[in-house]
Amino acid sequence: MQPPSGGRYIPSGKAGCSMTEKGKYRIAGALAGTVNGLFGGGGGVPLVFLLRTWANVPDKTALATCVAVIFPFCLASLLVYALCGALPLREALPYLFGGLVGGWIGGKLFKNVPNTWLKRIFALFLLYGAARYLL
Amino acid sequence: MEWFFPALCGLVTGILSSWGVGGGTLLLLCMTLFFGVEQRTAQAINLLYFLPTAGISLLAHRKNGYLDRTVLRAAVPLGTLCALAAAFLATTLDSSLLRKPFGLFLLYAGASILLEKPENKNKAL
Repeated sequence: MQPPSGGRYIPSGKAGCSMTEKGKYRIAGALAGTVNGLFGGGGGVPLVFLLRTWANVPDKTALATCVAVIFPFCLASLLVYALCGALPLREALPYLFGGLVGGWIGGKLFKNVPNTWLKRIFALFLLYGAARYLL
Repeated sequence: MEWFFPALCGLVTGILSSWGVGGGTLLLLCMTLFFGVEQRTAQAINLLYFLPTAGISLLAHRKNGYLDRTVLRAAVPLGTLCALAAAFLATTLDSSLLRKPFGLFLLYAGASILLEKPENKNKAL
């Protein structure tokens, strides 16, 4: 495994590409921030997609960096919710508790997971959600 | 019982997201579609839920050297401003206005996973 070389990736076969890599990161970040702020999550979807396919960031680095990029977006959004008096701390507690236990269990069970099928099932669930919201 | 299903939902989401399968959106959808949580409340809970789980995984990612600082420095400042503005819109607008855009977003997210090519191992190596 080759570590990210100082964080720079030279896109192959893209000579003459007018936009700098930094410009692409900025646009990807802006789009992710907008989506994440509007919908209270989901900013990672366009961010990972753009970093991987447009800015040629390797998969694992894109996924990990995405979490780090989204983190301040969530903090900023929560600040706005708090200022508007719309922070449901008490209602969030059971979800948070379950999430921490789940993260711990997931970490223990990692490996041997049929990720592709899980992702497809998840995608179908998203499409079901889309139908419920759109129809 | 009032606690049971939300905690179970958080648990399942926590397991799946630690495996890299869709965390946040899954939790948000369960809350709005099955538990009748109001959209704006669900969004705030989703944001709160993200922080501890993401915080823990970030520590590991940093240790493993997977964080790209150039991307972070470029994407975070402008993105945070956009997030602030968008969150302000989300809290002030009538939340029914965001239903269709959110539906379209889900459609895009679901379709992009189904159409995704298998992970390019060469790129990650």
